[in-house]
Amino acid sequence: MRKSLLVSTVCGVAAGMLLFGQVHAADLKIGIMIPTTGSEATSGKDMENAIKLAAKEINEGGGVLGMNIVTMTGDDACDPQQGTAAANKLVSADVAAVVGGYCSGATLPTLKIYGDANVPFVICAANSTKLIDANMGNAFQINSTGFDQVNTAVELFEKKGIQKIALIHQGDGYSEDLAKLTREKWTAMGKEVVAYEVVNKGEQDQSALVTRIKSKAPDAVFWTAYYADGALVIKQLRQAGYRDLIAVGDGSNSPKLLEIAGKAAEGVYCFSNPTVEYLPAAKEFHAKYKQTFNQEPDAYAALAYDGMNLMADAITRAGSTDKDAIKKALAETSGFTGIAGPISFTDKNTLARSNFVTLIAKDGKWTLAE
Amino acid sequence: MTSPDSISGAANQADGSGGPLGWLESQRNRLIVLSVMAAAAMLLPLIANNYVLEVMSNVWFYVMLCLGLNIVVGYAGLLDLGYAAFFAVGAYTTGILTSQFGVNFWLTIPAAVLFSCVAGIVIGGPTLRLRSDYLAIVTLGFGEIVRIIARNLEITGGASGLIGIEKPSIFGFEISQIAHFYYVFLILAVLACFVSYRLQHSRLGRAWQYVREDEDAAEAMGIDRVAVKLYAYVIGAIFGGIAGCFFAAKMTAISPETFTFQQSVLILLGVVLGGMGKIPGVIVGAFALVLFPEVFRDLGSSRILVFAIVMLVIMLYRPEGIWPAKKS
Amino acid sequence: MSFQDILLQQLANGLILGSFYALVALGYTMVYGIIKLLNFAHGDLYMLGAFIGFVVLSFLSAFLGDSWTGILCSMVLSMIAVGLLGVLIQRVAYQPMLSAPRLSILITALAVSMILANLVMALTDGEYLAFSTDLGYDGLELGNVFITYTQMVLVGAAAVLMIALYLFVHKTMYGKAMRAIAIDQDACRLMGINVNRIIALTFFIGTSLAASAGIMAGTYYGSIHFFMGFVVGLKAFTSAVIGGIGSIPGAMLGGLLLGLLESYGTQIPFIGTEWKDVFSFGILILLLVFKPTGILGKTEIERM
Repeated sequence: MRKSLLVSTVCGVAAGMLLFGQVHAADLKIGIMIPTTGSEATSGKDMENAIKLAAKEINEGGGVLGMNIVTMTGDDACDPQQGTAAANKLVSADVAAVVGGYCSGATLPTLKIYGDANVPFVICAANSTKLIDANMGNAFQINSTGFDQVNTAVELFEKKGIQKIALIHQGDGYSEDLAKLTREKWTAMGKEVVAYEVVNKGEQDQSALVTRIKSKAPDAVFWTAYYADGALVIKQLRQAGYRDLIAVGDGSNSPKLLEIAGKAAEGVYCFSNPTVEYLPAAKEFHAKYKQTFNQEPDAYAALAYDGMNLMADAITRAGSTDKDAIKKALAETSGFTGIAGPISFTDKNTLARSNFVTLIAKDGKWTLAE
Repeated sequence: MTSPDSISGAANQADGSGGPLGWLESQRNRLIVLSVMAAAAMLLPLIANNYVLEVMSNVWFYVMLCLGLNIVVGYAGLLDLGYAAFFAVGAYTTGILTSQFGVNFWLTIPAAVLFSCVAGIVIGGPTLRLRSDYLAIVTLGFGEIVRIIARNLEITGGASGLIGIEKPSIFGFEISQIAHFYYVFLILAVLACFVSYRLQHSRLGRAWQYVREDEDAAEAMGIDRVAVKLYAYVIGAIFGGIAGCFFAAKMTAISPETFTFQQSVLILLGVVLGGMGKIPGVIVGAFALVLFPEVFRDLGSSRILVFAIVMLVIMLYRPEGIWPAKKS
Repeated sequence: MSFQDILLQQLANGLILGSFYALVALGYTMVYGIIKLLNFAHGDLYMLGAFIGFVVLSFLSAFLGDSWTGILCSMVLSMIAVGLLGVLIQRVAYQPMLSAPRLSILITALAVSMILANLVMALTDGEYLAFSTDLGYDGLELGNVFITYTQMVLVGAAAVLMIALYLFVHKTMYGKAMRAIAIDQDACRLMGINVNRIIALTFFIGTSLAASAGIMAGTYYGSIHFFMGFVVGLKAFTSAVIGGIGSIPGAMLGGLLLGLLESYGTQIPFIGTEWKDVFSFGILILLLVFKPTGILGKTEIERM
């Protein structure tokens, strides 16, 4: 028995080394953490495409410090449990750095894993304010956080002379966070939040909620959650005769919202991260993306593309793949020009400026609001 | 990777009793297989990387959850579609007590056991008299109620959940690395197997079997069927609660999204696939549950579809599950 | 809006929502009444009705444009298709299990439900599909209460289907056979009734009613999703239990009552929309514990 155990252990160790120990010296291994399965797979794969496109371009231009970028994808499935498995997978594979992060809920528990391993992590899309507190200093958020979105929203409401608002979220971390922050800010300004409601995901009939909101006569309704249920709420609000302002958060920035809500969506405002079609600097990327993947880039493609380029830039500036050096280089980033705008960081490693734009639905399309 | 003589021994045995698993019938061979597997499980952290350990910790974790639900579904024959609720009770007890009241992790376990018991009694007490299909819907409803409560209350952190849950330490040694948690969940799974085994062969285990096979006859034999079912419910709840405590400690962040109806169904799948009521079967089920999406990443999103088809086929053609039934 | 207006508007909301619940609840109750099976897959057949309707409608709209004729045609086709699927499911998955332990048949039904939902998820990539039909917002304004013509048509259609079902069950020989099988299957067999055929017919009618509700919901709300059957299935089950499971008028009554409870429930001060589902599930649980026979159900002494 004992002998066979010894043999099996030795064999196991050898097999383990063979399986997990393969790293070519000339390769720079970068991890991509995004959801490639589950409900958010479409957005995740889109980000993966953009990151791979950036890596390909960098390699064609001679790589980073003479090394060839090799990407490795960890699927977090937009689920905290699978997120930790994905993060451990990337860390085990000895990646030099990680780019990605779409769902805030799935990204949150991975911060500790990357932090313990001291792996530099550029978070491209996830932007819950909870991520700021959990950051161990190695993660950098290149998307504006919820605070910035609230400021953009409040600015619009003030400009429109709005006094009473109604907030609706969907009972998940992201949309609740946004609704809560808006409520805090709005009441702190001495104005009134007349309704603060929750919609259950997947429920189609919102007529009772709509009647309740209408009876409180808000000047504006702010939907902080995702497009699918948002379209139903907008449609039923308009159907019930609500004629005032409706605004939606960045989770609702999708052509699908306009498709589902139809003409009810005309004139709806949307606060959005910089998406490809509104970025003058992204024209070339847009064309290349369409040519390579034969589809339109989604909302976070531009940020994902910037994330990879920023990481490569930081490693070049650091002059080595030493993790502390990369971290330092990332923190010192100043005015890096991405296609989504310049990147610098605050002392909390969040984007130093707000990148939110305000869109309006016109003739069945999102266009920049002036 | 067994030594040559044990392989030839196995071949000889197989010839004798026929059937591919025939040689497992022998007590000695079964012991050998078990000890090789145990040694492999214990030595794994020496050779495997963090990713493998993470996945395997997840396997042991689901083994514990599935064994807990197995007591309700497999032993007592009650369909529970809201088992994630008990898991949530344990996780939130630890989460709230450690992160907001600064209670030591180990002290939260008895609290979680207590709360899970209470939850089990509150849910089971009034409903276990119901027909089994009504019970299924009631447990589903309770599962959703627990999740919505966790989502709406301030103390549970609302929809964002709790973050910054302390990692436990024991005799000054902090359990923080994935390899540490691997051993923690391995020990929990082994304990769960042991307790399940003892329960199955106890007086209570036989009472469950009676009630499952023929409720009226059991009652005629003097078994208090409601009490017996309630025991199953409460013990299952405690398994889930304890698993929840360690889940919270490992993840350091929990949110209501983890405790959905889908989670309950996933645990139930683990119980049914391998074979309800059989400990090795449930373990096989838990392995399948966790390893399938890791191995077949491309099929990841259709994993539930594959499992559901397998479950239907099992129900129609092999209701005892994948694991072979014991010959009697 | 005055308080009175709100109450009236919520009455209208509740009745519209309730008629959807009632249509789906009817199938639950008919199947339960005849073979004592809780068909978990029923909500998913509602979903499937919407998807098949969507496919047929997008095909038809090439010839007919966006019209009520197109909607009606796709509704009939989808009802037939889903009804046949319901019969197939009964034959393949439920028929062999009827003598098996209760637990096994419940798990079988759960498996069927998961297969349907996940199959549609795989086929649609989990995406929401948008109905292109825009039915317009014109309607009647009665004081401050507003009801669109579309809503009236939908409630009217639901009422027609329910009346037709009631007449079928109470005025035809088939209906009589259904009611008889619900009471005693073996006696029916002895009387020369083809029990299997009547069970198949019950499945066909029950599931096609769910399909009709599915396509009505799809055209009315404008989007469909593989998960849409879960919530409605649960609500319809609650309706069936409120009315008394097994009773056809009970399912109609239960559906309308639940619709009203939900719409008035959102007006209760301090509770708010975030507790709405706790409220509905709470009612379901209390009802099952204290009055499992519902409002119109017969007392039945049976233990499983």
